[in-house]
Amino acid sequence: MALGLTYATSHTLVRMRLSSFRHALKDQNRVSWIGAGAFCGLVLAGGTIWVAARGDNDGLVVALGIWMLGWVVGPLFAGGGDETLKPEYFSMLPLPPRTLSTGLLVAAVAGVAPVISLVALLSLVVAGAQLSVAAALIALPALVLQLFCFILASRLAVAVYGVLLQVRSGAVLAAVVNAFILAFAAQGWALIVAYVSTDVQGTVATAARIAPSGWGLAAVEAAGRGDWLEALLPLVGLVLLAAVMLIAWSALLVRRTTASHMSHKVRRPLSADGPSSAAAAKELRSWTRDLLYGHKAVFAVSYGLFFCMMPLALKATYMLPWAGPAAVIMAGAMASNLYGADGTALWTTLMTPGSAGPDVRARQRAFLLVFGPLTVLITVLFTWWAGDAGAWPLVLSVLPALLGGAAGLIVACSVWAAVPTTDAHKRSGNPLNSGENEGETMGLVYVMLVLVSVSAAPALVAALYWSWWGVPIGLLSGVLAWWYLGRLAINRLEQRGPELLTLLRHGRTVEEAKKKAQYESIPRWKRTLAGFCLGFAAIPLFPQALVPAIFLLTGNADTKSWFLALYVANPLRWLVIAGMAVLGLGMYAYGGLTYYNARKVSPAEAG
Amino acid sequence: MESAAFELVGLTKVFGEERAVDGLSLSVPTGSFFGMLGPNGAGKTTSLSMAVGLLRPDEGTARIFGVDVWDEPTKAKALVGVLPDGLGMPERLTGREVLTYLGLLRGLPEDEVRRRTSELLEVLELDHEDEKQVIGYSTGMRKKLGLAVALLHAPRLLVLDEPFEAVDPVSAATIRTILNRFIAGGGSVVMSSHVMALVEQLCDRVAVVADGKVVASGTVSEVQAGGSLEDAFVSLVGASTRGAEGLSWLSA
Repeated sequence: MALGLTYATSHTLVRMRLSSFRHALKDQNRVSWIGAGAFCGLVLAGGTIWVAARGDNDGLVVALGIWMLGWVVGPLFAGGGDETLKPEYFSMLPLPPRTLSTGLLVAAVAGVAPVISLVALLSLVVAGAQLSVAAALIALPALVLQLFCFILASRLAVAVYGVLLQVRSGAVLAAVVNAFILAFAAQGWALIVAYVSTDVQGTVATAARIAPSGWGLAAVEAAGRGDWLEALLPLVGLVLLAAVMLIAWSALLVRRTTASHMSHKVRRPLSADGPSSAAAAKELRSWTRDLLYGHKAVFAVSYGLFFCMMPLALKATYMLPWAGPAAVIMAGAMASNLYGADGTALWTTLMTPGSAGPDVRARQRAFLLVFGPLTVLITVLFTWWAGDAGAWPLVLSVLPALLGGAAGLIVACSVWAAVPTTDAHKRSGNPLNSGENEGETMGLVYVMLVLVSVSAAPALVAALYWSWWGVPIGLLSGVLAWWYLGRLAINRLEQRGPELLTLLRHGRTVEEAKKKAQYESIPRWKRTLAGFCLGFAAIPLFPQALVPAIFLLTGNADTKSWFLALYVANPLRWLVIAGMAVLGLGMYAYGGLTYYNARKVSPAEAG
Repeated sequence: MESAAFELVGLTKVFGEERAVDGLSLSVPTGSFFGMLGPNGAGKTTSLSMAVGLLRPDEGTARIFGVDVWDEPTKAKALVGVLPDGLGMPERLTGREVLTYLGLLRGLPEDEVRRRTSELLEVLELDHEDEKQVIGYSTGMRKKLGLAVALLHAPRLLVLDEPFEAVDPVSAATIRTILNRFIAGGGSVVMSSHVMALVEQLCDRVAVVADGKVVASGTVSEVQAGGSLEDAFVSLVGASTRGAEGLSWLSA
């Protein structure tokens, strides 16, 4: 009977989820995000199956470990994971908590990400098929259990972070842990080099086998040996793990839907005596009181530290001076949606004449106050620790350029590319979830990582060629970026403030409806092609042209990775790089022109 | 004819296929307490947002004391106090901080801001919650704080979207008194609501909005046309007999 209720609940929740997915498909913008995400996911899933097909089980178990890590860490970047169905919606229904959480779990399977993971997990069947028929058969329950464990681990992680983020110390702790995991994941490509060349390989593979993500493969391998007890044990382990995670998740869901989210008392107001100091005080409050802001700040700084300290494990100190710059880049990326995060409170700025300027500058000032002194201190200490005299001019040139660049880019990005989020007072019990635009938020973070890094390019080049002359160039470029991008953001806010508020208030739909009318004038295939070009032009341009070019110039050709140019003979290399660059730029140009022409055509159509 | 405090001229907004507001025009004479009535989804919030500069209209414009909101937004916004419906606030500030900082951003002198803030918080009974951040406010407290923001710079026109929604009776009486004093002092108020009794009691002029258009406008007695305002409203927006039939299982 309880089972019947659980089945009926699951069935309904799956239908709800599929309905909202169908609605998402009507939105061109969402479709392109889903499409791009699905494409990348499928490429990775294909890669995993390929590893399995090669019979490299050590590689496979590591790959599966990375998939699980992605499930656990992904939601942190993507705003709390997919929450099409929030538990709060159902809190008034007379359902036992475990029925609801089981239902939500089943509904969670009906999504793009689980399907892609399912494809990736087919690698277990591929691995099993190479061993024996029985192993291939064992792989089937193993992959289902493994998928449920992935999803449950993800949901449980979100719930745990949610609890942590409601108190200050918890928010700090969560930030440090996330920073560690992500820095570990990001140093991965360097670690893979070490992994391939040393006997770390065996250690990592062993560790990955012990982790729950490896249990499915362990069962398959045992079945291949005909060792039935050992094949059964990991499967039972997965079932038990899933049960424990489900119970824990249910308990946390109950807590989430019944606990109050009262904020604590505040200290005295910061004094202010004029428009700009008032705006600055208002903004600094957010950084000190909003746990999510604090979480982001701690995350960015710890990420920089971990990212650059990890090579210390191999006694390499060369990364140390870059901890400060890395923290600034991450901080800039995390602060790329300031207006989106504040939501419709923007009306107070809009209705206060002349406050756009102070508001934008205040946001820049708060960013610089929070990250400036700290990253300068980290840079000085760590460069001194590294003891590499050659690094001083480089980091001291790059840091001011990055700080200014980030301060300018965050406001420009926040005004131009705001991602609507749910207003703070209407949010659910999941502090990580700020809306329904995880994909977009995540995309913005990646774009900003690149943009903020690029803002240091002039200073870096100058420092590489003229050593200490880079410092004034860095200072100059930082001040310029801060001033000019801030100026642009102010103008935009003054002129297009109402449009920004509309976006934050009603989401994409209104703007999209208008744009759709414009783009409907071009044939559908052309639109799709243009969208594809814009979405993927970065691949030939950056990793296939720019990065190998830098590698060739710096004489680092040992790491071939997936850089096509490094696999061909020497004279051809530059040809491949040039070809890739032309391809990338051409794709950008085609996509951009198509959209530009559509915009020009539309007024005539409308009139 | 009196000069208009607030004029809405042919405001139009199209969301996708739907004409949310369709050529809406209104004129609010100086010194009047103007009620805007309409069923849910009639376009009240959308037209008021367009009229004060929060949402760009597809067509039409609005004038505040003759100043065009979309040509000279800075000048127009200095003349009006707005309480929007359903919009956020700087959540991480206390009520006192919100008023202080917004007052300073309007360029008011510091001691004046401090004095006004304290008085507003006291009158609206928000002062004993001084330690609370806005995110912890109830819906009614948010409304009251929004009203305080609208009043802070002593504008001559107030545009209030559902000012009495979720406000307790005691605070509602306070707000009524404040608004009546504001009118007596020569100010003008535009208020949207769907509480008939309140509009009947407070306003001297009303406009009924349905499907994004003004279907009736004038003094309260003109629109009432002999009956009660509620009867007039129901007949204007289309009478409904629903609710009397069906749902038999509810009483089973």
